[in-house]
Amino acid sequence: MRRVVVTGLGMVTPLGCGVDVTWSRILEGRSGAGRPDTFEVSDLACQVACEIPRGDGSDGTFNPDDWMEPKEQRKVDDFIVYSVAAADQALADAGWKPETYEDQISTGVLIGSGIGGLLGIEQNALLLKEKGPRRLSPFFIPGRLINLCSGHVSIKHGLKGPNHAVVTACSTGAHAVGDAARLIALGDADVMVAGGAESPIGRLALAGFAACRALSTGFNDDPQRASRPYDKDRDGFVMGEGAGCVVLEEYEHAKARGAKIYAEVIGYGMSGDAYHITAPAEDGDGAYRCMQAALKRAGIGPSDIDYVNAHGTSTPLGDEIELGAVSRLMGDAAGKLTMSSTKSSVGHLLGAAGAVEAIFSVLAIRDNVAPPTINLDNPSIETDIDLVAHKPKQMQIDTVLSNSFGFGGTNASLVFRRVAD
Amino acid sequence: MKRIVITGMGAVTPLGVGVDTYWKRLVSGMSGVRALTRFDASDHVCKVAAEVPSREEDPEGGFDPNDFIEPREQKRMERFIHFALAAAHEALAQARWKPETDEDREKTATIIATGIGGFPAMTAAAKLVSEKGPRRVSPFLVPSFLANLAAGQVSIRHGLRGPLGTPVTACAAGVQALGDAFRMLRTGEAEIAVAGGAEACIDPVSFAGFSAARALSTKRNDDPQAASRPFDAERDGFVMGEGAGILVLETLEHAQARGAEPIAEITGYGTTADAHHVTASPEDARGQKGAMRKALEVAGLSQSDIGYINAHSTSTPLGDAAELTAISSIFANRGKDLSISSTKSAIGHLLGAAGAVEAIAAVKALVTGIMPPSLNLGQPDEAARAYDMLNEGAKEKKLAHVLSNGFGFGGVNASVVFSKI
Repeated sequence: MRRVVVTGLGMVTPLGCGVDVTWSRILEGRSGAGRPDTFEVSDLACQVACEIPRGDGSDGTFNPDDWMEPKEQRKVDDFIVYSVAAADQALADAGWKPETYEDQISTGVLIGSGIGGLLGIEQNALLLKEKGPRRLSPFFIPGRLINLCSGHVSIKHGLKGPNHAVVTACSTGAHAVGDAARLIALGDADVMVAGGAESPIGRLALAGFAACRALSTGFNDDPQRASRPYDKDRDGFVMGEGAGCVVLEEYEHAKARGAKIYAEVIGYGMSGDAYHITAPAEDGDGAYRCMQAALKRAGIGPSDIDYVNAHGTSTPLGDEIELGAVSRLMGDAAGKLTMSSTKSSVGHLLGAAGAVEAIFSVLAIRDNVAPPTINLDNPSIETDIDLVAHKPKQMQIDTVLSNSFGFGGTNASLVFRRVAD
Repeated sequence: MKRIVITGMGAVTPLGVGVDTYWKRLVSGMSGVRALTRFDASDHVCKVAAEVPSREEDPEGGFDPNDFIEPREQKRMERFIHFALAAAHEALAQARWKPETDEDREKTATIIATGIGGFPAMTAAAKLVSEKGPRRVSPFLVPSFLANLAAGQVSIRHGLRGPLGTPVTACAAGVQALGDAFRMLRTGEAEIAVAGGAEACIDPVSFAGFSAARALSTKRNDDPQAASRPFDAERDGFVMGEGAGILVLETLEHAQARGAEPIAEITGYGTTADAHHVTASPEDARGQKGAMRKALEVAGLSQSDIGYINAHSTSTPLGDAAELTAISSIFANRGKDLSISSTKSAIGHLLGAAGAVEAIAAVKALVTGIMPPSLNLGQPDEAARAYDMLNEGAKEKKLAHVLSNGFGFGGVNASVVFSKI
């Protein structure tokens, strides 16, 4: 199998537009949560979300006009705009600009989303109800379809290789990165732009996820404390929005063109719980099998893992089940493991979560630092694993495992490793 | 490389439930298109659809969810999930695959595509939140509409704990599900896969949206069965259909070891991007050409080996012409020796399920030596007249290899080749 490396990173997150700004704010321990003010929230059970800071592009704000013509923006839901921005950044970072036909057909795109254009569907359902079916725009359907992230990115950059989109709820981003790596490993492509994008924040999504008791509802007056993985007062996740994209590349291809190599994707594991549509299996068996499959493919043992970027959404059940599965996997090595949840800072980006967390995992290797789990005042469970409460931890990090689990009982784990010079 | 075979198939289509009913009616030239009944279409421009008939409407072939799902559970899942469960039930039964040990469960993947998931639930919930407030939303809303919950529910029902995934590449998703499963079996991540697609989005908002995009047929509201007419000079858009198609794919080794009967072999798969436009193909159809060429290359076949093509051909004026351009550039000298038909002429366009349901038709043609007809093809396009377009009914022919296409919005193309064992 061919080796696959990461050569470019790009993101738009609730902490800002861009990899550097997001990462430095994560390490500062900042939170991207707040009270949404563009729609009515007073009658919602959950009144907290992690929204993209919008502005003119200065100070880390996201200015959509920097990435897509205003006329085009109006035709699509925000998740597509975010994905285009993240992909632009990642391709620029990788210095990959395919111009020959050969380079174009060997470059593909695989960007997923958990729920895609739910907001646009909601608005158009109401428009039809009020004004009738003939008032819908011709751009309504293509502006909501999940695979149109991959479509727009491929059109903008002339990427003619495999074009794909996957949905696995909250593990979408990790599956996208893993599936894209597999395409390169098998020779279907030499370069892939891979990631996830999401823009769910609105009344319908907040009402729907609150109805399944997945969202935090107890911190409406103190939004920045709401996302608190592993803490005893956690009461659900905080919904976030944004996108993350990586450029994956076949190792020899990257070396031949002198590309900067962040890390190698050495393992990818997937599994199904086959248990329940929204609840994880209590014994964490699906998560365990998934991590085990990733390690097996990577050809390493649990003690080789330096840091785990956890799924850790801040739900009462999920966090402890994951912790239990990781402890079982690590066995005696648990005492030297470091694991944290960046969702404490950026919230849960649903289908984009696995992609932005893959990027945080790669940055942890680059900078030899584990990002913190903020708001972790009182862990709800005793563990030998260092959960990196509040402050980042400088340490040697060569190998990272990143977990993502989703509704439907779907699990994905990725393993990244430093590439020796 | 490992050889991958099909050992089971299941279908829910506008021509009825079950592969036998579907196939019998398809080759007899029946149409599943009718005047729309699902909602009041009086103020819509398109008033026809290929709806899956109920048991009351069609005692012999109609769909009754009670056959597959307890009444209490039915309300908690959208119709596309009902269809997926029904088709998976049939396919697994034919394959005689009922994994009971941990090992068997963990090596079984579930990859079920959809174009848009539970769209009707989203639009209904949007209205509910606007009319009655957010607290009226059911806890089952989100898992009822998430695109990956067709795969999730199938995996839960049958205890399939291997890789779980959901391609959502619009109208190419069904073919890409087969391709993803094919690839996963070849790399050894699974030994057996339940793969296909499901769709049920006959809904006023989707109709208004596709109509606004000028994708639907609007000229034959008075003569529904004549509305879907791929390759015909008088075609004016597609007819929306619904249903599901599921195939059990398996490594030949695994099938032989357990004494399963292989139906046919998947020998080739290719996928590309147009990188051109969100809804239109480029005139030279290079992306579609690329997908077919790649599929032939992977299969190690030359164009002259293909006896029959189950075309994507949705009955849109531009789309069918582009596909013919692509076919003509690859199969240039074949003339009447190459047979082509469009299953969509009989069952409409099943969007994310189309590729899977059409793959089943292609496989049936391969194994029975009977090619299904194209309906309503009185005046074929100039470019189509060179080939055997099967416009006078089903026809017998000895087939060794067949090809099936799926193309989607966003400029995504996928082709798959099936071969006799």
